[in-house]
Amino acid sequence: MAKEKKQHGTRIRETREDRIFNAVNLIFWIVVLFIVLYPLWLILIASVSDPDAVLAGEVLFWPKDFSTIGYEAVFQYNELWTSYANSIYYTVVGSVLSVFITLAAAYSLSRAFAGKKIVNLAITFTMFFSGGLIPIFLNVRDLGLYNTRTIMILMNLVSVWNLMVARTYIQSSIPNELYEAAVMDGANHFTYFFKCVLPLSGTIIAVLSVYYGVARWNDYFTGLVFLRNRSYLPLQTVLREILASLSISGSSETFFAAYADNLAGMQEAMRKAEVAKYCCIVVSTVPAVILYICMQKYFVKGVMIGSLKG
Amino acid sequence: MTSLRHRPVTNPGLAARFSRAIRRDWQLWVLLIPALVFFIVFCYFPMYGVQIAFRDYKAALGITGSKWVGLKHFETFFKSYYCGRMFKNTILLNVYGLLFGFPIPIILAILLNQLNNKRFQSFTQTAIYVPHFISTVVLAGMIYLFFSPTSGIVNKVIEAFGGQSIYFMIEESWFRPLYVGSDIWQNAGWNTILYIATLTSIDPQLYEAATIDGATRWDKIKHIDIPHLIPIAVMMLILNCGSLLSSNTDKALLMQTSGNIKTSDVIGVYVYKTGLGKAQYSYTSAIGLCLNVINFVIIMSVNAISRKLSDISLF
Repeated sequence: MAKEKKQHGTRIRETREDRIFNAVNLIFWIVVLFIVLYPLWLILIASVSDPDAVLAGEVLFWPKDFSTIGYEAVFQYNELWTSYANSIYYTVVGSVLSVFITLAAAYSLSRAFAGKKIVNLAITFTMFFSGGLIPIFLNVRDLGLYNTRTIMILMNLVSVWNLMVARTYIQSSIPNELYEAAVMDGANHFTYFFKCVLPLSGTIIAVLSVYYGVARWNDYFTGLVFLRNRSYLPLQTVLREILASLSISGSSETFFAAYADNLAGMQEAMRKAEVAKYCCIVVSTVPAVILYICMQKYFVKGVMIGSLKG
Repeated sequence: MTSLRHRPVTNPGLAARFSRAIRRDWQLWVLLIPALVFFIVFCYFPMYGVQIAFRDYKAALGITGSKWVGLKHFETFFKSYYCGRMFKNTILLNVYGLLFGFPIPIILAILLNQLNNKRFQSFTQTAIYVPHFISTVVLAGMIYLFFSPTSGIVNKVIEAFGGQSIYFMIEESWFRPLYVGSDIWQNAGWNTILYIATLTSIDPQLYEAATIDGATRWDKIKHIDIPHLIPIAVMMLILNCGSLLSSNTDKALLMQTSGNIKTSDVIGVYVYKTGLGKAQYSYTSAIGLCLNVINFVIIMSVNAISRKLSDISLF
């Protein structure tokens, strides 16, 4: 019986037109994947190739004359690692705060209470209208937060979009019966939030952590506008100095100053610096991509649950 | 028993209702307060501060102490030499971005959904999200590296085909294609998320019925996928229209060189450079306010039009 069913098939055979469609589609995706992944691959292989080969444009598909000279230069560059530590601090502390505050507010907004409408409106309004860069800057300065580590944590603490995603998630995936049962057992909002909502929100916590974490890790503008003290600078600002100074004028004071004294000459420093750029990109980007790939499983699922309204 | 008689039975006063609501809901408010404080301090305080656009702001005098000058700064801006150029640059950058950046994620989502091999499909989906996690600084750095006139891969390829090497980053005609192109490379994959979510929520019976009726894959896309995607696509379009005048300031700033300044000079960059660099706070606040008001009006009108024409709206 089963065999017979297999032979005849419950499936309708694909038409010729469909098979052509599939083939074209497959080719299309191979091309897309190449466009997406090749630049990333190129950065990776250039970072472990010999500077001369990179400068001559000979590194195309595979590392040429394997060398770690670029990474050695990068590891000696102290300012980069100070900023690296700063960025880790801003990202970890900031994201933990962001996720917790967002979830607490999202839970609150998922329940009915007097005044909810006004709060909703006030929060949504900030999505479409803002004071603008200069008033924000003056406000921060008047609050005494200019050039402090605190502002790197507090700026962009809560995103309206993430708040709405979290609220939708709580509304749609935590059954209301659970709330009623908890209330019967004498739970108030605090106990319900901490004992029931948080433990059931693993997926959305993962999603929010990636959203907030990556945004903070990659943030360049906040540091640029609100920081002056070089020891507070986040990674992206220092990275920019390294990348820009070398590619426009072909010389870099920061880089030379860092290790010109222990090198034979400028030529050698230039050679190193060229590959060091690729290494910097790798070193700074890998944490964000790894975080994404680790969380990927929850991620696609969670984003979909959260983003579909009703 | 007697006390019951004295209690008001109808319409408790506003104050009484308020205090009862607070007593009942105070825990919800406590959970909400951190976020509320953030929005008030970092969003609504600056909105109050935006009045310096109508004043000659002096730090020593404070916001309300500075002299009221009305629309002076707005007039200066609209009469200035760079005003037209900046508006044009900003709008063109966004229009091109919308023109090319908006349909591509929809096409990608539809075609991704049609892939037969589930493992290849999920690998592809993971891969096309990756560029989104690269920072703007790195993206700009990659553009400089790949499009460099001496060692950049793009110019190597051009030379290999017998062409002339182009110095992309200092040619003004190349700024917009590079900006929009890199934006698509970075975000087109990521922006498929909503559409893919919509497609996976379609009832499979629809496809089965269509197959039985002899529909090809192309027919199914035309008659099942696209109609399902339209509402969400319209919503995304409305959202995108709301930012026609705002630009990704840091990206334009990072890609700006002395060579391409004619096309890369967008309003956001100008506000940053003049406002913070030259401390012209009131003047640049006026420009910023102008921009935000126009954006706000655009999004409200597009939303209203869409609600009227198709019953789809954000709010």
